[in-house]
Amino acid sequence: MTPMATALAPLVGQVEIHSRTGENAPCQAQQGKVFCLDWAIDNFDRYTTPLLNQLLLVLIAVAIGFVVAFAFAVLSHRQRWLIPTFTAATGVLYTIPSLAFIFLLLPITGLGWETAIIVLSVYTLQIIYRNIVAGLNNVPPESKDAGRGMGMTDRQLLWRVELPLALPEIIAGLRIATVSTVAISTLMVFANVNTLGQPLYQQIDFKTNIVIAGGLSILMAIVLDVMLLLAQRLLAPWRKPSMEAMT
Amino acid sequence: MEAGRPAASVSYRNVTKRYAGQDDAAIHDLSLEVEAGEICVLVGPSGSGKTSALRMVNRTVEITEGDILIGDTSVRDRDPAELRREMGYVIQQIGLFPHRTVAENIETVPRLLGWDRARARKRAAELLELIGLDPGLHDRFPNQLSGGQQQRVGVARALAADPPVMLMDEPFGAIDPINRERLQNEFLRLQTEIRKTVLFVTHDIDEAIKMGDRIAIIEQGGRLAQYATPAELLMAPANDFVEDFVGADRALKRLALMRVRDINLWRAPLAFVGQATGEVRAKLEGAEVPHALLVDSDRRPLGWLSESDLQAETVPRTPDSSPEPILDQDDVMRDALADLLQSETQYAPVTDGQGRITGVLSIEIISEFLGSPEAKVEEHAAIERPVEHPVGE
Repeated sequence: MTPMATALAPLVGQVEIHSRTGENAPCQAQQGKVFCLDWAIDNFDRYTTPLLNQLLLVLIAVAIGFVVAFAFAVLSHRQRWLIPTFTAATGVLYTIPSLAFIFLLLPITGLGWETAIIVLSVYTLQIIYRNIVAGLNNVPPESKDAGRGMGMTDRQLLWRVELPLALPEIIAGLRIATVSTVAISTLMVFANVNTLGQPLYQQIDFKTNIVIAGGLSILMAIVLDVMLLLAQRLLAPWRKPSMEAMT
Repeated sequence: MEAGRPAASVSYRNVTKRYAGQDDAAIHDLSLEVEAGEICVLVGPSGSGKTSALRMVNRTVEITEGDILIGDTSVRDRDPAELRREMGYVIQQIGLFPHRTVAENIETVPRLLGWDRARARKRAAELLELIGLDPGLHDRFPNQLSGGQQQRVGVARALAADPPVMLMDEPFGAIDPINRERLQNEFLRLQTEIRKTVLFVTHDIDEAIKMGDRIAIIEQGGRLAQYATPAELLMAPANDFVEDFVGADRALKRLALMRVRDINLWRAPLAFVGQATGEVRAKLEGAEVPHALLVDSDRRPLGWLSESDLQAETVPRTPDSSPEPILDQDDVMRDALADLLQSETQYAPVTDGQGRITGVLSIEIISEFLGSPEAKVEEHAAIERPVEHPVGE
């Protein structure tokens, strides 16, 4: 067992962490080599399930986090005194260390997907909530005045004017939340979910493994980020001309 | 075009507005009647409450006491959102929705009223044509338009559901002076077609005089100082505040209210090419204008004849001095005076739409007009005296 795995093992008793360095002897024998391509090709299928699990976990967590943060934001948009309350509450939750959070949930939800989803969703709240609130606050007052003056109800104003105009900032929040969730989700191996953290911590002293597991995680973050950026461009086409004009 | 809805009168009945936490009322017992189809300008210094007065009509500001009637219906009996959909609303900051195209912006109120997309789209196209916006701009976003174009779209959007009443809060306040003038003229031209009841807020007395059929001057504290036609306001200010507010140059401002055709022009002795100079000299005897004007066979001015021009036997083809400036009878008097002063001449020929001479305007006519206290400037009936028919034609 590696020192790190040894240290973590008693923390999460049910997680199976054991060294398989023996299998990688030919690769590890080559001192200083960062990446063994042969090994990677032969063993890539062991990353497929963790990769898909992590992707699913991220998507579910961000989706739930968005729904909850959105509900808070819309509620506090009408009842503005709630904004500091929600900001402080989500801020406090954000400061809980992930492993401690998993332990806090152990007696309630035990180990598994449920715990992982709760932890990750809660972490997204702060960023998403703050961005929706900022987006709504930054809607030009004259657009609101005009909308109201033309006979929009509060609800029509929210859905037809305020939210569409806040969309770029809302998506900006989703991008940060998604990328950070991808990063934290590897830790959910300690909630016994087979994410890319599983192979990562299993062979933490095998460089090729670190490169593949870590690389896939980073790649996932980049791909999701670019997709959200494209969605923003697509959903907020009016932003483009002003950006062009600025350059 | 959609069948035009008749304009509705707007009537303030002892309206008072008090904002929470303020001792003084923002609007104090305001009563005034705006007739259907008229432009009523609310004008006053900043802080006079004119914008509050306007916004109480569509209940974006609630009335504290009193009532406002649209036609016979109290605004207080109406659902605010429904009420607002029946009123055009134009604000200084324009407030176009940045995320919607020009056409979509104009479709806002029709869509709120539940029109189907095709009908709303058709209406938007009509209005864009009415305001003279290039069809290529329909699918642009507002930030791709100039300020003037944006405000035109703002006006079109307000007109979309053919509202009986238009509320305009400093609509041209943020536009540069040249475009403001153009937008004002366009709106006045539009108003002759659409005949809406318009409530128009401005702090600019010149704009008020230009735009208003009637002007309500509002003093600090939201008190109505005077409600009158622009001409009445300029000739008989009700108190010191109004006199101060309309300015010391109010006599000159009256010139902005009239057109050249509204004043009694002088008759010019006319001369034709080849005419005997003797005949021309005879006409000059006792004429109001001491110079003869050379005109072509359609009586279009060619130039002023000088003493040396008349030395010859017959009238020459090329006179000594040019006829400039030539004024159109539809020119605003203030502009006509400016033209006269700028070209340093005493007299200017005035022509009709075909360029034919109708008379001569002189600086003397204008100064006499400004000096006469009984000058009735609100008479807009054209005073057209036929030009003396030249002998020998």
